[in-house]
Amino acid sequence: MFSELLNKIKYSPNLILLPTLSLLILGLASLYSIAIVQEQPPPNAFSKQIFFLIPAFLFLLVISVLSKRLIHKYIYLFYGIAILAVIYPFFGDKVSGTYRWINLGPSLTVQPSEVAKWIIVITLARFLSDNNLQMKNFNSIIIPFLIIIFPTLIVLNQPDLGTAFVMMSPIIPMLFWVGAKPLHLFLILAPLFSILFAFNVVVFYLWAFILGLIIYMSRPKIFIGLSLYFGNIFLGLIFPLLWNSLRPYQQNRVLTFINPELDPLGAGYHIIQSKTALGSGGFLGKGWGAGTQTHLKFLPVQESDFIVSVIGEELGFIALFAMLCFFAWLIIKIIILAINASDRFSGLILIGIATIFLSHVFVNCAMSAGLMPVKGLPLPFISYGGSFLISSFMMIGLVLNFGREEIY
Amino acid sequence: MLRSSNSISKTRFWIIIAFTLFIHIILAYRFFQLQILDYDIYTKRSNSNRIRAISIPAPRGLIRDRKGEIIVDNYPTYVLFGIGGDIVNKENNYSVISKATGIDTLILSKNYNKNFRNRFLPTKLAKDLTIAQLSRLEESKNMLTGVIYKQFPERIFNPKIRASHVLGYLKEVSQDFISSFESSDKYQHGDLIGWSGLEKQYESILRGKKGVSYFQVDVFGREAGKVREEENSLPHPGKDIYTTLDIELQELLEAEFEGAKGAGVVSNARTGGILAYVSAPDYTPDLFTGLISQKDWEFVLADTNKPLLDRVANGTYPPGSIYKMIVALELLENKKVTKEWEVFCTGSYEFYDRVFHCWSEFGHGKVNLQKAIVESCDIYFYQAIQNVDLNSLGLMAEEFGHGNKTQIDLPSEMKGRVPTRGYLNKLYGRYGWSEGAMLNISIGQGELLTTPLQISLYTNILATKGITYPLHLVPSKSKLINIKKITDANWNFIQESMERVIYAPRGTGRKANPEVKGLKIAGKTGTAENPHGETHAWFIGYGEKDDEKISVVIMVENGGGGGDVAAPIAKNIFKKYFNSTDFKTASK
Repeated sequence: MFSELLNKIKYSPNLILLPTLSLLILGLASLYSIAIVQEQPPPNAFSKQIFFLIPAFLFLLVISVLSKRLIHKYIYLFYGIAILAVIYPFFGDKVSGTYRWINLGPSLTVQPSEVAKWIIVITLARFLSDNNLQMKNFNSIIIPFLIIIFPTLIVLNQPDLGTAFVMMSPIIPMLFWVGAKPLHLFLILAPLFSILFAFNVVVFYLWAFILGLIIYMSRPKIFIGLSLYFGNIFLGLIFPLLWNSLRPYQQNRVLTFINPELDPLGAGYHIIQSKTALGSGGFLGKGWGAGTQTHLKFLPVQESDFIVSVIGEELGFIALFAMLCFFAWLIIKIIILAINASDRFSGLILIGIATIFLSHVFVNCAMSAGLMPVKGLPLPFISYGGSFLISSFMMIGLVLNFGREEIY
Repeated sequence: MLRSSNSISKTRFWIIIAFTLFIHIILAYRFFQLQILDYDIYTKRSNSNRIRAISIPAPRGLIRDRKGEIIVDNYPTYVLFGIGGDIVNKENNYSVISKATGIDTLILSKNYNKNFRNRFLPTKLAKDLTIAQLSRLEESKNMLTGVIYKQFPERIFNPKIRASHVLGYLKEVSQDFISSFESSDKYQHGDLIGWSGLEKQYESILRGKKGVSYFQVDVFGREAGKVREEENSLPHPGKDIYTTLDIELQELLEAEFEGAKGAGVVSNARTGGILAYVSAPDYTPDLFTGLISQKDWEFVLADTNKPLLDRVANGTYPPGSIYKMIVALELLENKKVTKEWEVFCTGSYEFYDRVFHCWSEFGHGKVNLQKAIVESCDIYFYQAIQNVDLNSLGLMAEEFGHGNKTQIDLPSEMKGRVPTRGYLNKLYGRYGWSEGAMLNISIGQGELLTTPLQISLYTNILATKGITYPLHLVPSKSKLINIKKITDANWNFIQESMERVIYAPRGTGRKANPEVKGLKIAGKTGTAENPHGETHAWFIGYGEKDDEKISVVIMVENGGGGGDVAAPIAKNIFKKYFNSTDFKTASK
C-alpha cells in the first residue's frame, strides 16, 4: 500500500513542479515586497499566503495519489455538490458586494467557484469519454454545453464575469479534442460575435455575409441552417434596440466596462495606474521594493488582480518575460501530457486544466496591460488568495495524477 | 471506465500548442511595448503621479538710501496652500487646519474657491501664518492631505518715510501678463511683480530667481518623503539697489507737504541724483504689501485728490514765472534786448483791445531785465516778447529739458508741452490765435505745461550753467548734459538775478533764505494761474556750500503765491540739508 503510493509519486510527471514553484516564489517575493516596504504587520498578504501553502500542498499530495477510478465514479456527485456550493452564497449576505464567498467562520471565507472550475472539467471529461458521441452531429455538443453553461450562468450572476469566462473556456478545446467540427464550435461563439458586431453597420453586414457563407458551406438541414442564420441576425438587430433603451448612465457603465480609459477616475483609473506601473518599470525594473506606483499605493488591488504590475514595475520586463516562459512551459507540458495520456478521460482533464491556466494567465495579464477591461481575475501561483491558491495546487495534483504513465 | 482511447489527430494537437504559444507571445509583446517602447511616457507619468514640485520664492532685493539705510525690506510670512488634486476630503482638512490655526473653515473654503486655478497648482488657503500656528499644523500633518505651506517674503517699509510713488508696489501677475510674456516659465501664477515705481523699473535686478523643492506624495496626497533623483535648486535672492534718496530729507519734505497737494523734488544739482521726491497726497506703501484687497483698492481709486497720481513725473502744470529765465536767455542770446533796456510798469498793459495785468497791482515803475526777474514783473516780458520768434523760444525751452522726458529711471513720466507756431495753428487755426498768446507764454502761462520733474532738471541746468547729469534715482553711467549755446556772461547774469531774488530787499524769494553760514542760494518764485482754481505756488532754487550744490523744486497745487507758500518749504529743506554734519560725505 505505502510502496504503491511511493511508486505513484515516483512515476508522476514531477517536472511540472519546477515552473510551478518558480512562479510561486516570484509571487511570494512580490507579496513580501509589499508587506515589508509598506510596513504591514502580520497577518498580511504574504504571511497568509505562506499559511495557505500548507493546505495547498496537502491537497496537491492527496489528489495526486487519489484513485482515478474513484474520481471517475463519483464525479457526477461532486458536480452536484459543486453546483449547490456555488448557489449557496446567494442565500447568505453579500461579501464585498458579491455572492462569491461562503463564510466558514471569522476571517475564513471560501470561494466555491474556484474548485467548481475543475470539477466541471472532470465532469465534462467523463461525459465526453463515457459516451461515444458522434461528433459530426451538432446535437452531440448540446449536453456538454449544458453541463458547462449551468454553473457558468450562476457564477455570472454572483457576479463574477472573470470566473464565468474561465469556467466556460475549457469546453471549446475539450470538444475540439474529441473531434468536434470547427464549424460547431464556431456556432457556439457566433451569438457573441453577432452582438459585438451589431454596433457598426458595415461590420455587421460583413459578419452577416460571413455567417451565411459558413452555414451554407457546412450544408446543414434547411430548417436548422435558416434558424441558425436568422437567430443570429435577429440577436444582432435586437441588441442595439436594447442598448438604446438603457439610460445614459447605464450605457456609460457598459462603455467604461469595455473601454475603461473613458473614465480616468473610475475603473479606468485602475488600468491607467497599472499600465503606468508596468511601463515605468522598463527592462530591469525599479528594483525590488522600490516600486513607487506600488508602494505609494497608486496601484490598486496590487496583491491579487494587479500583481503582474508589481512584478513589472519592480523587476522589469525581464521578470515578466521569464514568468511568461514558465507559464508557457507549464501549460505546454500539460498539453503534451494530455496527448500522451493512454485514455480519453485523462487527456480531456489535462486539456481542460491547461485551458483554465491559460485563461487565467491571458485575462489577468491582458487586463493589467490594458488590453482588456478590468475583470478581477487572479494569476495562478502568484496572486494572493487562499481559495485560488489551493484550487491551483489541486489542479497541479490532478495533472500529476492523470499525467502519470500507467504502470499497472 | 477509462475505456475510450485517447485518439487525437496531430493537427489538432499542434493547433492547440500553437494557440497557447500565440497567447503568450501576444502578452510578451504587450509587455515589451509598455515597458521598452513606451518606457519614457510611463516613467514621466509615474513621476507626475508622485512628484510634487513647489517653488521656493527668492527674497526680493532691498531698496536702500544713499547712506545704505534700508527703505524697503522683506520679512518672512508663511502661506498655506492646498493642492486641488491631492486634497481628498476638503472638509476634513479644513477642520484640522482650523483646529491648529484658529482660522475659520469658512474663510479657508472661500479662499480656496477664489484662488483655485487647477488641480495640480497649489491654491492659497491662508496667509500671514505665525510660527506657533505652523508648529501646531506640523503636529497634525498626518491628518492632512495635499496641504503644504511656503515661506513667502513680504515687503516691509521704513516707517520714517512713505515715498510711495518712487518705491512703487508689487502686484500679483495677471494671467494675461503670464501668457504675453515671452518665456512663460519666468513668472507663474501667484508671483508678485513690481507694478510701479522703482519696484517696476528695477524688477529684473530685485526679483532674483526662484528655487524648486521636490517631494513625493502617495495616492492620498500625503507627503511621503523626499525624492532621491531630483536635485532641489536653491533660490537666488534678488540684488539690493542703492538709491540716491536721503531718508531724512525725504522725511522732512513729506512732513512739509502734510495735508497739501503738490510736488517737491530735491536733487544734487551736479549729479542729477534725486535726494527727495514727494507727490502729495500719497498713500502708505503698506497698502500694497502682499496682495491688495479689492476694497482697499477701490477706496484709493475713489479719492478725488488722486493719491495714486505721481504728480512729480506725471502731473503737468503751467510753470508761471519760474519760466522767465528761459525767456530772458532767449532775449539776451538773440540780442532782442540789452540788460539796460527799461520798461515802465504801471501794473497793467494794453495790447490791442486786451488789458494784461502785472501781478503787482500798482506796478514796478522803471524795470530792467534783472529787476523783471527779481521782482517778477510781467509787464516787462509782455513788451519784450513781441520781438521774439515763438519757435526759437521753443528751441531754447527744449535745451532746458522742457517738452521732453527727463529719462529718469521710473516707469512712467509725461513730457509736458512747449507750444510752437505749428502747435497753435493746429489748435486754433492759422488766424485763430493772436500775438496775445505770446504774452501769456512769456510769463510761463498759456499753452505751456511742465512736470515738476522737468522743472527739477531745468533748475539743475540753471544751477550748473548747463553742465549736469540727467535726473536719476539709482546711479548709472549716463551722458553729460552740456549746453553750449549760452554765453558765460549770460549764465552769470541769470545766476546773479536768481541770487537777487533771494537777497534783494524786494526779491520775491526772500522767504526761502535759511540763513545758514557759508550757504549761498539762488531761486525764482512762480505763481501760476490755472483753470482749476487758486494759483499754483512754485519755487525753484539751488544752494551751494563747500562745493556741494543741491536744487529744490516746490510746487503747491492751488497753494497761492510762490513766495509765500512754496519758498518757506524750500528754506526748511536747505536748512536741514546744509546744517546736517555729514551732508557732503554721505553723497560720496
